[in-house]
Amino acid sequence: MENSNSIANEKIIQDLLPQKFGKSGKIWTGILVAFCLVGLFAYYRQLRYGLIVTSMRDYVSWGIYISNFVFFVAISLVGSLITAVFRLADVHWSTPLTRIAEIIAVAAIIFASLIIIVDMGSPERFYNLFIHGRLQSPIIWDVIVITTYFFISILLLYFPLLPDIQILLRFKEKSGKRLHKFYGFIGSFWKGTPEQFKLSEKAINILCITIIPVAFSIHTVTSWLFATTYRPGWDSTNFGAYFISGAFLVGAGGVVVAMYIFRKSYHLEKYITADHFEKMGRIVVLLALLYLYFNVNEYLVPAFKMKKSEEAHLNGLFTGEFAPLFWFAISVGMLIPIVILLFKKGRRPLPVFIAGIMVVVGAWFKRYLIVTPTLLHPFLPMTNVPDNYRHYFPSWEEWAIALGSLAGAMLVITILSRIFPIIPIQETITEQHENAE
Amino acid sequence: MLNKKIIGFLSIILLLSSYHALSQDVQKGDLSIGLNYFVNNNKVPYLLVKVKTKVDGKFKPVSDIAVNLSLDKDSAGTLIGKVVTNEKGEATAIIPATLKNQWNSSIKHSFLASFDGNKKYESSKADLTVGKAKILIDTTSDRKITATVLEMKDTSWVPVKAVELKIAVRRLDADLSVNETASFTTDSTGQASADFKRDSIPGDINGNIVLVAKIEDNDQYGNLLIEKTVPWGSKFVAVNNFDRRTLFATRDKTPIWLLFMAYSIVITVWGILISLVISIFKIKKLGEA
Repeated sequence: MENSNSIANEKIIQDLLPQKFGKSGKIWTGILVAFCLVGLFAYYRQLRYGLIVTSMRDYVSWGIYISNFVFFVAISLVGSLITAVFRLADVHWSTPLTRIAEIIAVAAIIFASLIIIVDMGSPERFYNLFIHGRLQSPIIWDVIVITTYFFISILLLYFPLLPDIQILLRFKEKSGKRLHKFYGFIGSFWKGTPEQFKLSEKAINILCITIIPVAFSIHTVTSWLFATTYRPGWDSTNFGAYFISGAFLVGAGGVVVAMYIFRKSYHLEKYITADHFEKMGRIVVLLALLYLYFNVNEYLVPAFKMKKSEEAHLNGLFTGEFAPLFWFAISVGMLIPIVILLFKKGRRPLPVFIAGIMVVVGAWFKRYLIVTPTLLHPFLPMTNVPDNYRHYFPSWEEWAIALGSLAGAMLVITILSRIFPIIPIQETITEQHENAE
Repeated sequence: MLNKKIIGFLSIILLLSSYHALSQDVQKGDLSIGLNYFVNNNKVPYLLVKVKTKVDGKFKPVSDIAVNLSLDKDSAGTLIGKVVTNEKGEATAIIPATLKNQWNSSIKHSFLASFDGNKKYESSKADLTVGKAKILIDTTSDRKITATVLEMKDTSWVPVKAVELKIAVRRLDADLSVNETASFTTDSTGQASADFKRDSIPGDINGNIVLVAKIEDNDQYGNLLIEKTVPWGSKFVAVNNFDRRTLFATRDKTPIWLLFMAYSIVITVWGILISLVISIFKIKKLGEA
């Protein structure tokens, strides 16, 4: 019995050990690096010539950088959903998904921080936040809460990794010298003793409890950056809940996309099963319905009142300049995924993957629609401004930086999945044993 | 022959009438010029010209109209000045020092305003005749205000009775009557008195307010006004939140409750995180042991 267990364990370990990039992996990484390099060149141009290289002017001072920031913050919330909420609710089926969620959270929060510095123009302005920042400003709360969330996400990735590091250290030849040295540096002290497990489990539980209010805070505070500003479309008391529901949706969408890709790339069909897609599909459809409900509240109620000062903004979204994008975001980001995922057949891996992509793409454009159209419709009408101040279309530098940051986040996920097991090995083994018993 | 003469005559009539019909297409508008005479604080008098025209049954101000102003007669040497109306259709001109002798030669003067006409408007004229008068203001310690109206007769100032005037306190946008009476009339001594009943009215930082006695649109004397500053108002104390702890104050004036809440949360959360980092070192120690 013990012998058969150890054979099964070895099989799990062999299946879940990080794998070197194949040809497609190298091409994928190469494409991401190329996007990042173009983004870096565009950022160099922005540093050299200033924010004038962007299309942001006096009115639209928050363009796709801030849309991207809100998107990254939103998707980072998935770490708290999959890892913390499910763990505290004693949901075991999500174990193979926890590391994917934690890696996505870390990558997203890194680039949320970076893109906000890009939006400042010159990076040294970030220093001014500390020497001149006011605790009364939601921007300072955002800085504090993002730093805290980043740190918690790193710890939540690190603690469950320790038992896996011990396993990885056994496979020096497979890992290579450098990686082996790195594994040794971050976790050679883990011996798997009961005392160590006890401390680690306690730490993970504390983190799971701590991350939930911090995760809620990070996105609530981000929503307050808008809601505390008196402008059409942002003047809402409901923005915190609206943003959090949207964040959980895009986070869950991001996880199903990553699940499908890792499952295919690393042949993990035995570990990320069709049942995982079925269950995640149900979660995504529930979250999409919830987010749709908040959207109805956010748009239909103001549209019913149609205040004069908000008329231009709302008409711009429903039937005007932003209408194609608005209806695209609503239908692709919510309605179509709901229709797909409501049916059992739609919750098979491929349809769930497609719905996940739709949710993520729709969510990115939804963030753009939250940020930019409002800025183009101030309460006081625009007067004596050049015509290009009245419209906003990002410059190539903005597109390059935004796409570069998205590629950068995916590159971090790719690299972390190359370095660490994408499915927790030790936890999978433990669960297999528990199930066998 | 007669027929030819008739045809020729009719042709001329037709030509003239067609010319008249054509000229109606470029019909010019009529302007109305208003002239007002002002003396403030018994200083140099000035004239206010208002030019308007009727559009769709309503008077509208006309800008960029050049109006010649002259004293008593429209001839060289009596020109007060040439003024051009602004977007409100108004223009002002003081009586220049060059007309001092002519001004002093009479107790009554006429002002002539004339517009020569341009492509859009017909020429127009207006005149105004006023007598020289002045207004004085005096106050007593029991907060009584007395205004005296005098007019020039021969070479001396004599009181004028039955002149309507207002005694008020100057405020930012308008003048506020000093008591419930809106206007006063001078008696046989040329005086009108009013009790000051605005005791709690805010003044400047020293409590100063400006009293004003004025005659408005008087047919004989035009518009006369005199001011006097008195310390009858309450002292203005500026309310300034600058040094208070508010949500909109500077960083060193953060409200205490916000500091307490923010630091409590930050210290609690980061305290937990630091304890977790310490537990990593504990795990490490256990492993090394």
